[in-house]
Amino acid sequence: MTAAAVDATVEQVLRELVRRGLPEVEVLTKRGRSRRLVLELGNETSAYSQERAWAVRASSRRGSFFAAGAGELPAGEAWPELSGRAFRLPEPEAAAPWSQPSDFEAPLIGESEGLQLLAGLGRELAAELPGARLLHAALEDGSSEGELASSRGLRVAFRRRLATLRLEAAGPGPGPGRPGAGAAFYLAAREARGFHPKALARRLADRLSVEATGAPPRQGSAAGSGGAGVPRGELLLAPPVAVTLLAHLLPLLIGPEAAARISSLRDRQGRIGSERLTIVDNGRLAGGALEYPIDGEGMPCREAVLVEEGVFRQPLLAWWQVNGAAPGAASGCCRRPSWRDLPLPGPTHLYLRPDPRLSVAALLADVVDGHYLIDATGPARFDPAGDRFALPVCGFAVEAGRATAPIARAWLCGTVAALFKGIAAVARDLFFLPLDGMLGSPTLLVTGLELRAAP
Amino acid sequence: MPWSELDTAAVARALSQIAEQPDDVVDAYFERREEVELPPEDNAPGLRVWREEGFAVRLLRGQRCWMASRDGIAERPFAEALRQVARALPSVGYPEPQVRPAPTASLEDVASELRDFPAAVARAIRAHHVGIAVRMTLRRHRRWLQVVGPRLVAEPQSERFYGCVVESSWGRCGALLPRLDAAAAEEVAAATVALFRARHAPPPASQHGVVVLAPAAVAVLLHEAVAHALEADVLARGGSPEAALGLALAAPCLDVLDDPAGAPPEVRRTSDDEGLPVSRRWLLRGGVVEQPLADTAWSRIAPALVPGAGRRGSRHLPPGPRSTHLELLPGDCKESDLLAQAGGGLFLPTASRGGLDPLSGEFTLCLPHGRRIRRGALGEPVGPCTLRGQVADLLARATAVGSETVPAGAGWCAKGGQKLPVWATAPALRLEDVTVEADA
Repeated sequence: MTAAAVDATVEQVLRELVRRGLPEVEVLTKRGRSRRLVLELGNETSAYSQERAWAVRASSRRGSFFAAGAGELPAGEAWPELSGRAFRLPEPEAAAPWSQPSDFEAPLIGESEGLQLLAGLGRELAAELPGARLLHAALEDGSSEGELASSRGLRVAFRRRLATLRLEAAGPGPGPGRPGAGAAFYLAAREARGFHPKALARRLADRLSVEATGAPPRQGSAAGSGGAGVPRGELLLAPPVAVTLLAHLLPLLIGPEAAARISSLRDRQGRIGSERLTIVDNGRLAGGALEYPIDGEGMPCREAVLVEEGVFRQPLLAWWQVNGAAPGAASGCCRRPSWRDLPLPGPTHLYLRPDPRLSVAALLADVVDGHYLIDATGPARFDPAGDRFALPVCGFAVEAGRATAPIARAWLCGTVAALFKGIAAVARDLFFLPLDGMLGSPTLLVTGLELRAAP
Repeated sequence: MPWSELDTAAVARALSQIAEQPDDVVDAYFERREEVELPPEDNAPGLRVWREEGFAVRLLRGQRCWMASRDGIAERPFAEALRQVARALPSVGYPEPQVRPAPTASLEDVASELRDFPAAVARAIRAHHVGIAVRMTLRRHRRWLQVVGPRLVAEPQSERFYGCVVESSWGRCGALLPRLDAAAAEEVAAATVALFRARHAPPPASQHGVVVLAPAAVAVLLHEAVAHALEADVLARGGSPEAALGLALAAPCLDVLDDPAGAPPEVRRTSDDEGLPVSRRWLLRGGVVEQPLADTAWSRIAPALVPGAGRRGSRHLPPGPRSTHLELLPGDCKESDLLAQAGGGLFLPTASRGGLDPLSGEFTLCLPHGRRIRRGALGEPVGPCTLRGQVADLLARATAVGSETVPAGAGWCAKGGQKLPVWATAPALRLEDVTVEADA
């Protein structure tokens, strides 16, 4: 990120609109290129895209407009009429020093390199789990740069680098014409070379194998059972399970209304969770897929601690939401996923803070009688009034620190309060998934939730 | 049409240079699109306009596809894209055919036709003797396409339609509308009022029984359970797509077609997004699979499948087999007869969304509200519920089809990240012995 000498056309558009009585004007220009490689049931696609686009938003006291388009920023044009409410733009602020990671400069993955990565993934999967096959694998590697300028004096240049990988696989079927279990992953990294075929194939194979061979949890199992014959022992939630739950809990953490929403979870000591629960959002998280020092409005990003050792500190707030209605300070969290989008507050890297002293193996060894849940197999069902959730999951039954049987078609059930308060330990394996922004969690050891055969 | 200055003959000649092998398929896809959104009055920014144009060049050889796409339409980038797609580079550069489209119209007054519609909906709501505050987001979508191949230049295509989302304290409902007229205002108002009137209704107890789906809900059912299930790429997940031909997938009373040329005039198509002529495609005839949806790539893999159903959400993405306008042919059952034989069941007027798991075949249809059927008439309202089942099992439970078809915007489909509008013309439908689950 640099303070930029922006394009002459950008300056011209800013001047034109200010001259027309619009004191709040922001101009974004963006250029990007991406390579998309797809393997799907024997079909192979290689696509290369170059994008060039702009977006302008402007406001006076009488109203406002937003216009965006592909191609060159038009100057000397008629702009849309004003309507709706007026808005204001942020005053420019200097971001703390930041060094651009070296992989921002890495070239996009080549066609043959990318296709080999996908084909290798398919081979590894077949080796890990004979009969399993990759149905769809799509790798997209892209980079972009642009400038953001406003009538308030903001002039910044920015760069982005992101790769995504979507995988869908099927396990060996139980018989001819009968498909096996399916699994889908969607992952993001800063560049495509960050995806490791062998590790991904192993994860896919584990998931498919567990789903194919696992059985629903036994009701009324002796050890670790709750009063109603429901397994309530220790539950080890792998990052994909914890992150899926976290994604559903974002309304409790984002925006001025979050403080009121989360208040019902407070106990007499004002805590909403165990001391192990710390949730932060940080747009400039080192090594994060979306790491950058400024947000989509050019405001400096900083770490915001939303929940600290079980105590709610503040919701995630954009600069224009800091008005005393909710506790806390702004953290530069307005995202702009594309030039088509208006900047909106949301998480960039929102995660449960890991404990660097604890490995997953150490947590697993401590499980006397419980379950290790490795993945969520569908979306959670939430009862907003009752605070209850049910999440379809798969994993293993665990006794004395050892996996004893695969578990599938199971439902992790409980309340949000029980989840937050039942976190007994967190491991160090912080892992992010691209959901609503990058959401992350390490493996969690949780008590107080139930594993059921039906929601 | 913005393509009057596009030298399609020169583009075709340029494309022919990269089609080196007899079976190569090469095409250029030119696209211009415009969206104008009128957000609720209390929103900022106010009027929102998106305009974009660009192109993609594609080469299909065997089971491999190469594509290059660009924002903006100009000669030099077109020649560059040709070079990126070509498998063998010529000693001299590719020609730069004239590809400039006509200039776009001014951005001034782009929303004049949108302004009166919110007031028309408010009047229509009042005509139902309901006074509720609503927030409306209205968007006009326009798209112009031109596909050019080395030997075939398809007729230019255009689409124009509207998306409308109404939010109230009792939920939100959306509609795709081919035009903004009094009937459209009434359609939106009726959906809003129905949501309001069901505001206190408890969800029905989970049950296994009979339901009558109104045409709007049938449209979503057809899209998810028939169209998606019969897309060549979805079929291929379970084996050869051709294996589905002749399969008895649904009850004999179901005749389902995809007919892009029979869609409302504003979104009617004569060719698909690959420039191939569309056909009146029988997906199900008497419940038996006759012709699944296929694009060029899948019809090369499965020659028994006929292309002409290739659609693309954007120039930056390759086409895939998708439906455009589904039709369920009418039966001989009046609506009163459909209800008469559905005592104790549910009448479900609309679906908010649906989903199909292509691997497991599990299908869900989310229904925001409904009415209990009592003695052949509509009884008390019920709250949100979900129709759930295996596709083939569910479609086999259709027992009667209504005699009156109505056009219905099935809604937006976002399969594979390609967001596309889908349309339908359908009558009401009765399903028996199906599972309806109460929503929390």
